[in-house]
Order: sequence, then structure tokens, then C-alpha cells
Amino acid sequence: MATTETHVPEQQRRWHNIRKLLERSGPFCHPDFEPSPDILDFLMESCKILVVGAGGLGCELLKDLALMGFKKNHIVDMDTIELSNLNRQFLFRKSDIGSSKAKCAVDFVNKRVPGCEAVAHHCAIQDLDEGFYRQFHIIVCGLDSIVARRWLNGMLMNLLQYNDDRSLDQSSVIPLVDGGTEGFKGNARVILPGLSACIECTLDLYPPQKTFPLCTIANTPRLPEHCIEYVKVIQWPKENPWGSSTPLDGDDPQHVGWVFEKAQERAMKHGITSVTYRLTQGVLKNIIPAVASTNAAIAATCATEVFKLASSCCTNMNNYMVLNMADGVYTYTFNAERKPDCVACSNTTRVLDVEPGAILMDIYEKLKEDTGFLMKNPGITTVINGRNKTLYMPSIKSIEERTRDNLKKKITDLGLYNGGEILVADITTPNTISIKLKFIENTDVEMSR
Amino acid sequence: MIKLFSLKQQKKDEEGSARAGGSQKKASAAQLRITKDLNELNLPKTCSTEFPDPDDLLNFKLIICPDEGFYRGGRFVFSFKVGPNYPHEPPKVKCETAVYHPNIDLEGNVCLNILREDWKPVLTVNSIVYGLQYLFLEPNPEDPLNKEAADELQSNRRLFEQHVQRAMRGGYVGASYFERCLK
Amino acid sequence: MASPSPKSPEQSEKNKQYDRQLRLWGDHGQTALENGHICLINATALGTEILKSIVLPGVGAVTIVDDNIVSDEDIGSNFFLECSSKNLNRGSEALRLVIELNPAVQGYAVQEPTDQILLDNPDFFKKFSVVIATSLSEKTIQNLSNHLWEINVPFILCRSVGFLGSFRIQLKEHAIVESHPDNEQHDLRLDVPFQTLFDYLNSFDIDSLDLKDHGHIPWIVILYKAVQKWKISNSNRWPMSRKEKNEIKAIIDQFKRLDDNGMPIYEENFEEALRAVNTALIPTFLPVKIQELLYSSSAINLTKESSPFWILCSALRTFVEAEGKGKLPVRGTLPDMTASTDHYVALQNIYRNQAAIDSEIVYRKVQEIVTQLHCDHISESEVKLFCRHAHDLHLIKGSSIVGEYQFNNTVSSYIARFLEEPDVMMVHYILLRAAEMFRSEHCRAPGEWEPESDISKLKTCVSKLLTDISCTPFPKDDHIHEMCRYGGAEIHSVSAFLGGCVAHEAIKIVTKQYKPVNNTFIYDGASTNTATFTF
Repeated sequence: MATTETHVPEQQRRWHNIRKLLERSGPFCHPDFEPSPDILDFLMESCKILVVGAGGLGCELLKDLALMGFKKNHIVDMDTIELSNLNRQFLFRKSDIGSSKAKCAVDFVNKRVPGCEAVAHHCAIQDLDEGFYRQFHIIVCGLDSIVARRWLNGMLMNLLQYNDDRSLDQSSVIPLVDGGTEGFKGNARVILPGLSACIECTLDLYPPQKTFPLCTIANTPRLPEHCIEYVKVIQWPKENPWGSSTPLDGDDPQHVGWVFEKAQERAMKHGITSVTYRLTQGVLKNIIPAVASTNAAIAATCATEVFKLASSCCTNMNNYMVLNMADGVYTYTFNAERKPDCVACSNTTRVLDVEPGAILMDIYEKLKEDTGFLMKNPGITTVINGRNKTLYMPSIKSIEERTRDNLKKKITDLGLYNGGEILVADITTPNTISIKLKFIENTDVEMSR
Repeated sequence: MIKLFSLKQQKKDEEGSARAGGSQKKASAAQLRITKDLNELNLPKTCSTEFPDPDDLLNFKLIICPDEGFYRGGRFVFSFKVGPNYPHEPPKVKCETAVYHPNIDLEGNVCLNILREDWKPVLTVNSIVYGLQYLFLEPNPEDPLNKEAADELQSNRRLFEQHVQRAMRGGYVGASYFERCLK
Repeated sequence: MASPSPKSPEQSEKNKQYDRQLRLWGDHGQTALENGHICLINATALGTEILKSIVLPGVGAVTIVDDNIVSDEDIGSNFFLECSSKNLNRGSEALRLVIELNPAVQGYAVQEPTDQILLDNPDFFKKFSVVIATSLSEKTIQNLSNHLWEINVPFILCRSVGFLGSFRIQLKEHAIVESHPDNEQHDLRLDVPFQTLFDYLNSFDIDSLDLKDHGHIPWIVILYKAVQKWKISNSNRWPMSRKEKNEIKAIIDQFKRLDDNGMPIYEENFEEALRAVNTALIPTFLPVKIQELLYSSSAINLTKESSPFWILCSALRTFVEAEGKGKLPVRGTLPDMTASTDHYVALQNIYRNQAAIDSEIVYRKVQEIVTQLHCDHISESEVKLFCRHAHDLHLIKGSSIVGEYQFNNTVSSYIARFLEEPDVMMVHYILLRAAEMFRSEHCRAPGEWEPESDISKLKTCVSKLLTDISCTPFPKDDHIHEMCRYGGAEIHSVSAFLGGCVAHEAIKIVTKQYKPVNNTFIYDGASTNTATFTF
């Protein structure tokens, strides 16, 4: 055996380590796993992964995935590199400050790992459309923003296709592996959209941003943070030191300096100590402490899960891992449960049959009378060309008055079409639900066929 | 576990290629939630809403016309801005009418716990409406934002009441000018 | 009062670069890190992943000891090697690419085998803050760990095979002043108020406060007053039981103001006082853990070689016995609470000032000891920090890896206990050890060439280990089979996970902040499971 090893091409030898996992079976493998050299081919040649965020986690992920055999990785990030990134975002150097994170990260990894063909997208995730996201097999996400996570989660839910019997078309599922860190703590999770708990199901797991009562800030400050918040919330909009058109920018050292100085004055007046420049910056920018090691551990956990998903060589974690490295190293994995009334993932679109010539009133009446709905006071909206449109909302007087005329209009004149969706809110459902319109052909025509 | 492995040989659609039937942009989770909140808005008779753009449910105004208490006869406008992180974060609410009130400052900042530190995603626009309405019935001098008004309410209710009236009719209270806001 | 600060103090470049981590371990933690020198033995993927997360935050220096030549497999799993590195010395190549991450870090490469260094120049290891090793042979592990134990240099031994990994920290003794507990207990002294606190608390008369002040006195005052009232009818005792604490709550309820309808007015500070009854009435005492530290022989029998930690412990003990009257120095921090600015700041200053007085006394005692012993000076700020954290001091007494490898009685009964449960993570530990034994017997990893044929050989190794600790053989071969499947493969993402963890632990050891793993960590990436064992 040893002799054949020396003859395998360099390329094959390079991937020797992961080939052992992919080409050999083991007692703990997933029952459907069939070891084969084709798997590595798939990882290298076909499997497309999107990394969202090229920060502390994103840099690690891009490296980890490249060394786990994935060649066709894309990465999206709208940010540019700052000095304070360099203590952990290891693909960037001082000379890169000001450049696109996504581009720098991709350039570095493509250069270091031969054969790696990573692609950078220097833009906001919201700038990319469904067609873009649909091309990926798996999406890994290393973001510090809850809004962005929720947006991405919503996008993956939108990509789900349902069969006519309302069952999920599994080929439309794009798994989302999500990581997050804060100081010495972190979490990693695997989401199968439409099948397991999603971001929106577990929104409670994200702690709300720390805020202080406005009256405390204004009148009874006790902590240095109260003084800084005062300058930020009350004093800045009042004094507008750079003119009324210049909002407070936590990245502008002059702005931070101004707030720092005023906060110190306020603190001094009240006998409060310890307003520092670092604290001022921390409060203004809501800075989350970050260190290379925690990011490395969480990103690696995510990369391992991507590898399991893509190769089926092993069952995925089920489904949420928390990591705490403050006291020893501690992990705990639990099954985050789906919320039956989740606004994002329980929304399996329902279908409503309507005649192509119907007016909005017909739909409104159907929603109230159809035994499948039996709604009380449905408010109906839709999205047309990416813009929200309120079709009819009876419960709000001012909107009712201005949308009443729509009831008499033909739905096609309102921009609705066969296969289009309306959003309906009513007290009879826990959430706003989406309903797909299915135009029924005239029965006479049908019979004459 | 889903068998992603069945995708092994399958190449994904290339970027931009549209699926049959076209794709309709979906509403965000925040949008879905606010639609629900608004549809179930149960306004007290002293309150009404105004939507400058009925298609934009994320930005609207709430008008409160108290029918009892210090502020009876006044008309107070609040602007609501619902952000993309709703309901994880509360809407931004500002008072657009200048008012002499212990818990509302002259910039329109409102000190209501559920608008900041005590906000929870289970709360709705309705909860905020009731909170604001309560502020006009029971101004709270203990946690003031307008300290003069609060001190006055505690030390001299009559004088406070006079000042509230003067402000609502339009005029100066101390150095601050208030626009008339009587109905 | 502090002097007015300069206008808009621009932070230094270094402060900006390290801002996100300075918020975790402070400027003094950073200084400690910058004085650290880490030695890595074997620049495997795991090794360089560890170094990466130590070099980025700015350790002082790193030295790589590695006599291996770069192979294709190395390049395939190690990000800090490139194609042109092939056939060159692995340590030098890895060093070049790791050091490039942070120009502030000094780097050295040594191309000699570890065994040779141990023979020729064992003092080589003395200069390191921590030595970290990956993929060592059984024999070298024992020689090296034995030597590092003797010269008292912390050692972290790491492994990464297939989905499995582990690290073992060997330290003789590790003292942590800033352990950063998640939930710090408050030190309020309500049961034994010092004079200034006593005077302040007694300056209030709850009933005569006007409504506005009523809602703005700190809950500490409310709670104290309630207890004083309770003590009058309870022969001056301190409330301890749940029943007694409920009586305190009832008194607090009585303090509340009533509205025109006789209903209690909601006041946040009173609600806080009610919530605090269960936690804030715990009597002030010297924690057993701290008492043991202060009276351990290292703190009593000081020598010129005693570490600052033990000198501080000794000074602290004399404080507790004399001025402290059995209590530790006042911590001097006040939790945030609803209160007017004046009340809060006044109370905060009372605690702060007492803490300053107490730590000043300890500082004088430290100076006396230092003068007597003729040892190095200990700064006032060090003493202050020590007193501030006196309630949370933490000492780890380590054990040697040699003892673990030779399965002394404690270790074998410890392992046996877990295997009986059975604990699958301990099974992983046995397999990692068995794979190491296999390698020293057969000069290759189990399954490196052919998984099937090595199963029985690996099983023999497992049996040997289990016999040594008097355990029955595993009922099934599945874990043995899985280890042979791995064939010694190093999987990058598994090494990257461990790399993050090990770097983290090394930083904890160098900065002497946060508690490190004591002492063995096992990771199974297949099941996403981890465990900590103390051998």
C-alpha cells in the first residue's frame, strides 16, 4: 500500500486528510452516507457556499472552508477594513485599511490556497436578489447584526417552494449555518428553513440592546454610561455641534471627542467618576468586545457543520450550540424548537381560488365567508415591485377611507396576478399570513375542452 | 435530516436565472408584524391614527385628544417610526406637539418605560398607545424629563394646571414658548 | 476630584488596534500578554491555528520548534504553509507566515528535534511563559512534560485526530486574581456596617421623607431600615430563614406610601429592596475557599522566593485577623440601583473610601513583608486590584502529565469511574491515548494505510490501557473502528476549533485572568460534544 501512496498525484495527496473521512465508512456515519471519491469532487467542483460577513467569523470561515475542500465559496460584506479589525480579522493588514473586506479576504485566501476560486461581493446583503441566493447549496453566516440575520432568514424562507398539497419541496431548502460571538462567548447553529427552528422562532435568544430610562439619563444619572447617553440622546440633537444636518457618528473621532468632553462635564457636575474615552466610544457605537480565539472556535464549529451537510458523512448538531470560554471551556448543545406560530417559517402559503375578473370585494368576502378562512376583519396588503401596498384595511379609519375604493376595482387592475400573493392580517390568525391567488378558468370553458 | 447529498451531482441554477412563474418580493418580518399590530389596533375613543402614505405602515402618527385630566381639550401628535428590527426593538416615538409635561421634554422625547428599557417583543403598538394615553391622565413627577414641570406638579398643583392651560392655549411658560394645541 | 481631561484624546494606534480585546482583559492584561513568550512544538495545522490566535492579539514573542519537512498533506490542512513551502523546514515556513499577521510579535524558529533539545540544552525551555505541543510521541510527551513540571513552565499538550481532539494543561500552581465571575456577589456589609456606612444609613428616617425622596432612596437603605425594625422585636438577631426574610418583606411593604385610596404606590426602589431580600441579607463572611488560601502553608511560610500572590495572601491574612475583624477588605463597588444622583454617589463614595482605607492597610503590611524578605517591590495598584478581587481569588493546583500517563491510583480510579457510567467522552480519551500507543508501537497512525487491518492492533492497545486502570474491555469495537477510519487524519476545522480554545487558554495563563480549563478538555466534532476532566 505504501508504495502506491507515493504515486498519487500531489493534488490527491494534499487532500489526503479529508479523503479519509469521505472515502471510508465508519460506524457512526449517517445511514445514507456512501463513501466515495465523488464526494470530494462535489465539494470542490459543484458545491457553492455563501459566507455572509467578512469580519471576525467570515475571515475564519473562508479559510476553514477552503481547507475543507470547498472551492466555490462566495463572500458578501459591505464594510471596509478598520484598524480595530486587525486584532482578529487575520486576512487583513494595516495596508488594507479602507479596502473592501470581502475583496481583501478573497484575494488572500485565493492566493494562499491553490485552486480556491472564492468570489467577493462588496455590497449589502439586501442588494442581492433571490436569484443570487438561490444558486447556493449552503449559506454560512457570521454577522453581528440581528436585522441582517432576520433579513437573510426571511430570504431563505422566501426561497422555499411548497407542493400543491402544501408539503415542503425539500430541494428548495438551503441550510443556514449561523455563528455569533460576544467576548468570550459564542453560539453556532444549524437551520433547515421550513424544517427546523429559524432565527425568527428563537428571537428571544438574542438579548435586547441595553437601554436606560430616559428620565434617569435626564435627571438622576448614576453611572458614567448615563452621562454619555445623555449627551448622545438629549444634548447632541439640542446643540447640533456640527450643524443640524450632521448626525452623531460614532466613527468620527471628533464627534466622539465632543461627546466624551460633554459627558465628562456632566459627570463632574454630578460627582460621577470613570467617564473614559474608551467607555464613551463603547456606548456610542455599542461596541461588542471581540477576540480572535472565540471567533476561531465558533467559525470552526460552523465550518464542521457545513462539511457535514455537504458530505452527509455525519449527522449535524441538533441544532444550537452555546460556547462559554470565560470559565474553562464549556459548550452545551440543545434542540432549539420551532415556534408553531413563527411569523417567518410557519407561513406555508395558502391558496385562494379567484376568478380572473374578480374585484377586491370578492376576495374580501371570500376571506370572511369561505369555511377555510372565516375571518372577522381581514386587513389586506401585498408587495408589488418590491413596494408594500395596502389594498384594504377596514379596522383603521384613515386607511379604510383611502382604500375603500379598491374594493370595487378589478384585482388585476390593482396589480395582482395569477400566482401572486396577498398578505392578510386578522384576529383569527396569530400572524399575518400570505395567501397565493390561483386564477380559476371559467368552468364553461373548462367543460368545453 | 434532509438529504442534501442528493444534490451531489446537481448544479444549482446560475445567478440571475429566474424560476418559472417569476418571483414576488416578500414582506419583511417587521412588515408582517406591524400589519398585524395595526389591523388589531383597538384605539380608545380619545385616540386616532393618521397615515401620510397608506402603503407605508411603518411611519404614521397617533393623535391623542384627552377628555379628562390636566390636558383635557388638547390635541397631541406623536410620530411613530417602526424600524426593520421590529419587534425586537421598539418603534421610535416622538411627541411633535410642544407640551408642558413632566415626562415629555421640549425636544419631544418621551419618558415611557416600554419605549426603552422595558420594551419586549410581545408588546404591540396598542400597548404604546395606552401607555401614552396614561401619561396624559397621570403625569408622573417622580421620573421627570421636564424637571420644572415635575417639581411644580409636586409642589403646586394649581400653578402646574395653570401652566398646562397656558401652554395649550399658546404662550410662554418660563422661557419656553408653546404653540397653541387646543382642539 | 480628577483634573479636567485634555481635549479629544486621540487613542494610540495600538489602543485602536487592540480596542476590542482591551475591553476584556484591560491594559494590564495586554501588558502581561506583550511580555509573554510562547513556544510551539510542531507547526501542524493545530499548532499554527493556536499560534494565529495568540499572535493576533499581540503576544510578545513566539518560538517554533520543529524539525519536520513540509509535505503535501501539511499544505492541504495548514493555512500557514504555501505551495512553495514544500520540502522546506516546516517550523521556519510556518513562522514566516504566522509572524506576518502581526509585526509587533517577535518570532524564532528552532529546527532541532525536541528530544535533542531536552538532552543538549534543557534550559532552553526556561524562558517561555507557556510551552504548547502538538503531535508528540508518547515518549517525548513524558520526557518533556516531566522536564517542564520540574522547571515550573506551564505546558499544554494538544491532539487532533479525525473529528476528535483534546488538550491537557499542566501547571504546578496558577493563581488568578481577576477571575471575572459571571455573577459577582455584592459586598454590602449591611450586617456589619463600618462606621461611615453606619452613620449614613442611620441618617435616614423613611417616614419623614417627602414623596419624591421616598422614591429615590437606595434600596440598601430601605432594606437596612427594615432589618433594624425587625431586630427590635427579634432579640437583635439577623434574619436568616425564609420565614424571617418574608417578615422583612412585609416590613418593606409597610414602608410603602399609600395613595388616596389606601393602595400602595408603586416605587421602583422599594421593588428592588423586595427583590434584594433573598440575596443581600446573606451575612458577610470569609469564604472557605479564601480562608484555605490565606492559611495554606505557602501563605504562612514565606521565603524570598515566594510569589507576589502569596505575599499578598499573607498580608491579607494579617488584615483579616486584625483590622478586618474576620472579614476581607471592603470591595468598594456598588451595584446600580434606582436612586437620586446624590444618594447614589454618596453611598458609592462611602464604599469606595472604605475600600481605599482597607487596601491601604494591606499595602502597608505588604511593604513590611517585602522589606523583611528583601524581595521585589509590589506596587500599590497591584495591592488595590488584589483587595478588590479578594472574594474571588482562585488557585489551581495542577497535576503532572507523567502521573496521568503512568496511571497512578488516583488517575486510574478517576478514569474508571467515568468509564463505568459509561461516559463516551472518556472513551474518546482512551482512544486518543490508544492511538498514541499504537503509533509508538507501529510507527504509523492506526488506519493510516488500511483501516480494517489495524482494528485488532488498536484493540490490543485499548485493552492494555484498560487493564492498567483495571477496567473491563469495551463491549463494542465501534469507537476503535472509527479511530481507524480517521487514519490519523488531521481535519482542518477540528484543529481550528481546538486552536481557538488552546490559544484562549494560553492567553488566560499568560494574563493570569479568567479561569483556564483544569486540566483536560476533550472535543468530539462529530457529535459537537465537549467535556472537561481533571486528572
